[in-house]
Formats: sequence, structure tokens, C-alpha cells
Amino acid sequence: MSVAVKSAIDDGVIEELRAIIGDDDRVLPGISSRVNRTRVPAPFPVHRWAEYMPDVAVLPRTTEEVSEVVKLANRLRIPVVPRAGGTGLSDGAVPLRGGICVDVKLMNAIKEIDLVDRTVTVGPGINMLKLNEALRPHGVFYPDDPASYPCSLVGGRIGTGGWSLLGARFGHTRDLVISMQVVLPTGEVAQIGDGGGRKLRKSSTGLTLKQLFTGHQGTLGITTEATLELFPRPEVEFSAFFAFDEYTKAWRTTGALTRSGLATLAGVVLFDEWKLRYLRRDDEAYIPQPESVRAVIAVAMYGTRAEVEPASKRVLEIGRADGGKYLGDEISQGDWASRHDRYATPLHGRSLDGQAVPMSWHCEDAALNYSVLPQVREEWHAIVARYRERYGIFDDWGMFAYTNAAHKPWGDYLVEIDVGIWEQRLDDENWDAWVRCKREISEVSLKYGGSITACHGATRAGDAELVPTEMGSAWPVVLAIKRALDPNNVMNPGKQRLDEAYE
Amino acid sequence: MSIFRLGEQRPPEPQRIDDGVVMRFEHVYEVDPDKMRTFPQQDMPAWDTRRIVDARWDHLDWMHDHFADAVLPAGLESETMMPEEMPSETPGREEER
Amino acid sequence: MDAYTGPNGDGQLQREFVERWRDNAYGCFSSGHKFCREVCPVMQVTRNENHTPTAFHANVVAMEKGLLDVADVADDYVHCTQCGACELRCPNTLFTGDFYRHRTRTVDVVKAMRALMVETGNERPGYKLWNERLAEAHSEPVLGDVVPSQDHVRDWADGLEIPVGGETILFVDCEAAFYRTSYTRAFAQLLQRAGVEFGLMREQWCCGGPAAEMGYMDLARRHAEHNVADWRAVGAKRIIAPDPHDYIAFTEDYPGYFGDDYEFEIALGVELLAELIEQGRIELTKPVERTVTYHDPCRLNKRKGVHKAPRDVLRAIPGLTFKDVDRVTQWSYCSGGGGGLPVEKPAITAEISRRRVERAAGLDVDTLVSACPWSERPLSEAGEAASIDVVDLFELVAESAGIDVGGARRGLVAEERR
Repeated sequence: MSVAVKSAIDDGVIEELRAIIGDDDRVLPGISSRVNRTRVPAPFPVHRWAEYMPDVAVLPRTTEEVSEVVKLANRLRIPVVPRAGGTGLSDGAVPLRGGICVDVKLMNAIKEIDLVDRTVTVGPGINMLKLNEALRPHGVFYPDDPASYPCSLVGGRIGTGGWSLLGARFGHTRDLVISMQVVLPTGEVAQIGDGGGRKLRKSSTGLTLKQLFTGHQGTLGITTEATLELFPRPEVEFSAFFAFDEYTKAWRTTGALTRSGLATLAGVVLFDEWKLRYLRRDDEAYIPQPESVRAVIAVAMYGTRAEVEPASKRVLEIGRADGGKYLGDEISQGDWASRHDRYATPLHGRSLDGQAVPMSWHCEDAALNYSVLPQVREEWHAIVARYRERYGIFDDWGMFAYTNAAHKPWGDYLVEIDVGIWEQRLDDENWDAWVRCKREISEVSLKYGGSITACHGATRAGDAELVPTEMGSAWPVVLAIKRALDPNNVMNPGKQRLDEAYE
Repeated sequence: MSIFRLGEQRPPEPQRIDDGVVMRFEHVYEVDPDKMRTFPQQDMPAWDTRRIVDARWDHLDWMHDHFADAVLPAGLESETMMPEEMPSETPGREEER
Repeated sequence: MDAYTGPNGDGQLQREFVERWRDNAYGCFSSGHKFCREVCPVMQVTRNENHTPTAFHANVVAMEKGLLDVADVADDYVHCTQCGACELRCPNTLFTGDFYRHRTRTVDVVKAMRALMVETGNERPGYKLWNERLAEAHSEPVLGDVVPSQDHVRDWADGLEIPVGGETILFVDCEAAFYRTSYTRAFAQLLQRAGVEFGLMREQWCCGGPAAEMGYMDLARRHAEHNVADWRAVGAKRIIAPDPHDYIAFTEDYPGYFGDDYEFEIALGVELLAELIEQGRIELTKPVERTVTYHDPCRLNKRKGVHKAPRDVLRAIPGLTFKDVDRVTQWSYCSGGGGGLPVEKPAITAEISRRRVERAAGLDVDTLVSACPWSERPLSEAGEAASIDVVDLFELVAESAGIDVGGARRGLVAEERR
């Protein structure tokens, strides 16, 4: 085995970890344990895999174990990289400096379901789909619904400050988590919420910390328990898809729908022309559609029948008022059902000569306001086209714009351009080109007053270098907080340019 | 009951649908094999195609039921395609085993 | 990137393995979405990323990049029942597998890696012993220390007067011939009641499926060749396979061995039974007063898409209260009995079964009905602890048909013969 993959952590540290964890099967220094806790679904420099491996993985069961591991890391200045599902679309869970991967999947218990005060308390290692299967008999659900719904875990959702397809109605992860137990970067355990009580939603006592601890990308600590919101299980679901012969009409209709004031509106998704062309490659709903279908809107509503039924009529009116054509019940229902696990699959990719080749999926996740959507779309596609032509290993999979503001359909949009990358062809030159392409895309977002990441996190090259720019005058505050909570820079170091806190 | 016979597992010849898409089994689209020269296709017997298509529809039904007690249809036909152009009500779905 | 020579100097074998499986590996690795993880019965228990289908594929890419060798991952690949949940649930199969004629094949990758383990001196001790015993007795060692000998392979049929040979052969696998003989006698007598003509093999060897699952490819093939020769020798045209594991061997492995020469019709036991009941050739007159739920065997539901026929059969039994769990939810269910897992990691199998029975218990039933004898062994053990009776579908149907089945659930007959 080559020197490059040798662990930087010596046997003495392994022994100390074994003493803390108390179970040799949960301290994993072996190469396969390290290799398989490196990448996440985001495009990965496969040719440099060894540089991103942790030195050891631990699988804790308790908050105490996590706390002791983090204290050890502080004492010996070893990086700690928290990992829940490892299903993120940016590199939050990818180690940049080796260290100890704290893999929380064993902490997946449902600890308490409180139907009176309407909360469920869980470990960070539980998946939302499995949680909801357990909640169903009680007539409640936890509506945190990303495209990774069947595979992402609550700890990662908190770490990334996740986005939910149903967020316009139910809110996103940040709004759905009531409070949590966190192991801080120095190893102390803190209960973080909105005020003191574990099940309180709103207070003004002290400093309100919950926002800070959702979306830190694992740089401010490790969540070891979370108390979550319980909603009544919806009586009905209504989804409708509309087709347009022009993007602008679809964009205007999106605005009309999101400003409609309909309270049960859960999400609106705008598909652009490139997305339709991409869908025609292999999606049975779109292959037979006529050429005049160039842009599409998907709308979904959830709630009681008494509210959704009349609202659905209004949606059908608005959806068709400006040239929109209804795609039919079957597509409206089938395509909507497929959105809960809609991570893009590799064979959507096409090489320059039209061959189907497996490509890794980059999902851009800028947050932008309604007014700039058409212009950003043009600029982004032009960037990807340039890189595709020059390097051949990139592919434009089109754009989505999704309602992004919690409880406010009229708010901003999660704007996504999907780029396929032929990983098998990656080398240093191609990888650097990719990073430049990614940066150009992000710079456009900033130019139009947006954010470079709505929910994935700016934890990778191409994004990270722009974090100080986006944060602007708030950046020194961010650095001060990071330095105060993590004096030894052990908690997921190197992410988001937070190293600047130590310069 | 379906009896397994090896000879019956070979898929039918493809009919062209558009530039990149063909069809062998009724209502089941497939990629034009010419696009799979760089990354080759697998040997996929007829029973396997059937299994995947049925599983997909069952999975989508399950997802609806997972999130809400009922799906409210608009009760409207497609406005982009004529009825005769539409694939069958549940494309590719056969009677399950 | 080279380096691995291994104890037998087999770097070449590993390189060939990587070459053969790299497309499959990249198909997963380029995606790495892990929709498989929560449906995997092993992962639900261990929560160890090393045991994920994702890791099983990623390791092949890692081998290609010189990061690890087969010895580093050999123990990881034991953690799989080959239930097929992952490869079906994977969007590369479920959403685009049929379109591209390219799907995720975790079962094949795991089998191939296990074969590489055998070829490079990295075989598992439990698998090794199990398959040595199979090679000797031509039946799997399903009776503990007692050798399941060919001399007794038809003892289960005592008193049933089933001939040997003929156009339609009933294939009786190891677990059915020696261990859960109640299952076998139930099915055979149901066929007789319906007037189906069938015979047994002259020499009933194991189908070879489990040997292949554990990586013993030559051994598997030898058994297949023997069985097919036996079928040809008696002029068989059709094979009835009641056991889902055999059905898979005969419809997937055997065509691979024999190609276009493979002329047999394979009928799945539960589908045949459903048809016979529907045609009125078996009448179910005796009510069975039980409250039951049905366990979708992995190799029927996930691997072959068979889930309707067993439910039709259950609904035809009078007196039964049937609390169903849909077949998609059951993608994440398993008994833990397949893929050699109980041979190497019996504690994991036991926990998987315990959880399955716990789910049944949550429905307030007295009986868990399965349609796979291999699942019934670990499920029965878990069922005892939970006071839930685990029965096979055929046994229940036979009871309702008024058949006095005989046989035993736990190989008692064989033990008495010691």
C-alpha cells in the first residue's frame, strides 16, 4: 500500500479512541473505512481520492462519546469531520485535512413522540422517510422533503441548513427543528434552541442561537440530538404541471402562482428550455410531448380537502391564464411523486458526440430573487456551453427555479443549473477548469444580489473563495464567532474560508 | 402464471420514436442503442424490464400515499397532446404477478 | 498503479476483476446518492458505511486507483443477503434502468468480489467449510453435523408415491428435502390434489445457487451441469421450482451456464398454486382461523417482482384475517437468511429476523406467513421469542385443503434417523 494513504494518526491515538468508544468495532482505522467516508454525491476529484480521506472513522452511540472524542481532538489538535448521511451536494462532509470522521449513523433512535406538545425527538442519524414511516400511525409527519428525502439524515439536514420541496408551506430544516443538543468544537455539550425550553418555538431570552447552529456545515459543532416539529398528516395532495411554448410566459405564471395568496401552496418549480431538452432524453413524461412544450411549471399543494379542493381550481385558472397548458393528471401526479427522490442519475450525461456516458451531477443551488431569473438563466447557460465546448467533459442538464422562502411562496428562489461531469475523465486540468466554471456561475449570482448557496453550503472550491465576498460586512462577525467557539480550529477545518479566523 | 422460457426473454426489435429514443415493448421507451457504444448496455431479459417498470409505478403510488391520505386529481386531460397520441393510462404497466 | 500480489501472487486476477466491473462501479460511484442505504437490511442493523451497496461499488473504483486490495475489503462483502433491495431501489434501476438497459447490479458485484476472494486466498472460513461440505454431500449442510446424504434425499416423500422422472420435475432444494419437510410435503400433496403429474429427480443435487452467492463458481456450475444432465436423462421439459432461491438459480444462473441450449420451462411454485386454485383444481374448504400477515420473500418480491400471486392465494383461504403490508414497504424487509449471511454473521441474521418479526407483532397477528423456506428458519427462531407462529404459505393452503401434511418444520425426522 502506498505511503500516500497511510494514516496521519498513530496507534496511540487509536488506542485512546478505543478507550473512549469502548467497542473496537466502532473505531475504524482500516483503509476501506476511510475510503468509504470520503466523497459525497457532488463531483469529486477521483484522481486525488487519497488526499481527501479521513485518518480514522468512529461510530459513536452517545453524546458523551462524541464529547470525549472532540475533547481528545482539541488536546491533540486533530481535525474532526462530522458525517451524517454523506449525501450532501457540496463538500461539507469531505475531509480536507484528514482527521477523525465522526459518523453519526448509529445515533438513529426515535427517543420521544409528544403528540400533545407536537414534537418528536431523534438522534442525528435517522432518515426522514424512515422517521415519517414511524410517525404515520400517529397521524403526523415531519415535512422536511429534499430531493434526497429517502437517504439524507437529520444531522446533515441541520448541518447544511437544508431546503425542502414543500418549504413554501411547511418551512425548511431551520424552521422545522425546534431545538437541539450540540457538542461544541471544544467538546462541551450545549442545548441550543429558541430560548431555554426544549420544545419552545419562539422566545427572546439571551441570544437566539438556533439559526447559527443550522447551516454551519459542521464548523460549529456536532448535533447529537434534535427536537423536531410535528405537522398533521395532510388529507390531500394536489399537483399540477403546466406547459408553455415560451419561457417568459412560464416565468410570469410562476410569479402569478406564488403571489396568489393560496395558503396550502407547498412548492412551485419552474423548468427552463434546457431542462425540457434534457428531460426529452429519457423521461417518459416528456419524450412524446410536442415541440411547443418548451418550459414547464410544477405546483403542489397539501392540506385538508376543504382547503385544497377550492384552491386547486384557482391554481388551474392561474396556471392556464397566460398560455399555460395542463399536462394531464397522469403526468402531474407521476412526475410530482418522482420529485421526492430526484437526484440526477449518471446516464443522463451526453458526450460531445452524443454518446450516453455516466456523469456525476453538480447541482448548483444559488438563491436569487424573481426579477433576475430570466437573465441569470441566459448567463449561466452561456458559461456552461463555453466550458463544454472547450473541455468536452461537461454537460448542461438545464435549470430549475424552486420556491425558496419558508412559508412565503412569493419569496426568493432556489435556482439550480444541473451540470454533468464525466468523472472518469477528470485530471488536474479538467478539475481546475471545473472549479473555474463553478466560480463563474457563483459570481453571476452575486452580481444579481443573490446567494451562492441556498442550502448545500459553500464548502468546496469554486464556492468557498467567494464566501467572504458574499458575507461582506458581516464577515468579521462570522470569523469572530468561529474563533470564539473553536479556538483550535478542529471542527471541520478548511471549510468556507473560515481558516481566515486564525490568520 | 408466467412460465419462464429462455427463448421468450429476448426483447423485440426496436422501433424508432425520435432521434435518441426507440421502443421495443409497448409503451416502454428506451435509448437508441447507438448512443450506448461508449458505455455498453447490459443483457436485460424481458422479465427484468417488466419488473423494473412495474416497480417504478408501485413506488410512485407509494410515494403519494406516504405524504397524504388521498391524491386530488384535476380531472382534466392533457392539453398538449391529443388522446390518440397519449400513451396508455399507465404506460408500460402490465398486470402484476 | 499496480502493486497487489497477494499471497498467491494474484495481482492479475484483481486487475481483470476491476476491468470487468468498472462500468458497474462507475455507474454507482458517479452517482453515490445512497438511496440504497435505508432499504438495506444489513445497513439497518449495522449502520456501517462499509457495508453499503455504495461501498461495494466504490471499492472497485478504489482498487482501480490503487487505494485498496481485495484483502482489505473481504470481510465487508460478507455483509449482504443479496436480497436485491438496493439494486431495485437505486434510481439508476428504478427510474432509468429499463430505458438505458443498464441497471445497478449489486448482487452480481458482491458475488464477483466473493469469487475473487476465493481465487486470491481471501475466502471466509465459514463459507469455505460450508462449501466443502456441499462438495462432498451435494446438498448444503442444513442439518448441522448430520450429513444430508443422497441416500435420504427423497425420504421427505415417504408415503406419497411420487415417481422418479417424467416430463415435469419437481425440484426440491436442500432446506426443503431435509429440514422443513412440512413445506415440501404440503406443496407436493397440493399438486397431487390438483391432478398435476410430476416426478422427482434421479439424483437430487443442490441447485448450486448458494455456492455461487458465496463465490464458489466452479462448484456452482458443476451442480448445475449435474442437475441439467439429470433432467435431460429423464426427458424433462418443465421444472417446478417452489423455492424462490431455486427459481432464481434456474432463471438467472443456469441460462448463464448453458446459453441458448437451455431449453427448460421453469414454473414458480406459488404462481402455479395460484393458478390451480383459481381454476378450481384445488378447493379450499377448511377454514383456517388465524390472524396473519405476509412476509414478501426478497427473492420473490424484489428480485423477481412476484408479489400478487401469494396474496391471491392467501385471500382464497377461508377463515383467515389477513393484515397486509404493501410490497414497496417490504423492499426494506428481510429475514437475513440469504446470501450466506447466517453462515458468517449469524448475529446479524438473527437481528434482522428479530426486527421483521417485531414489525409483524406490531400488527397484532398470531402468524407470520412466508413463501420461502430459507427465510422461515431465522424467522421461526425470532417468532418463538415473540409468540408469533411462522408458517409457510403452502402449509397453510394444504391445511385449508384438508390435507394431513406430515413432515416436520425442523428436520426432526432426520434427527430421529441418527
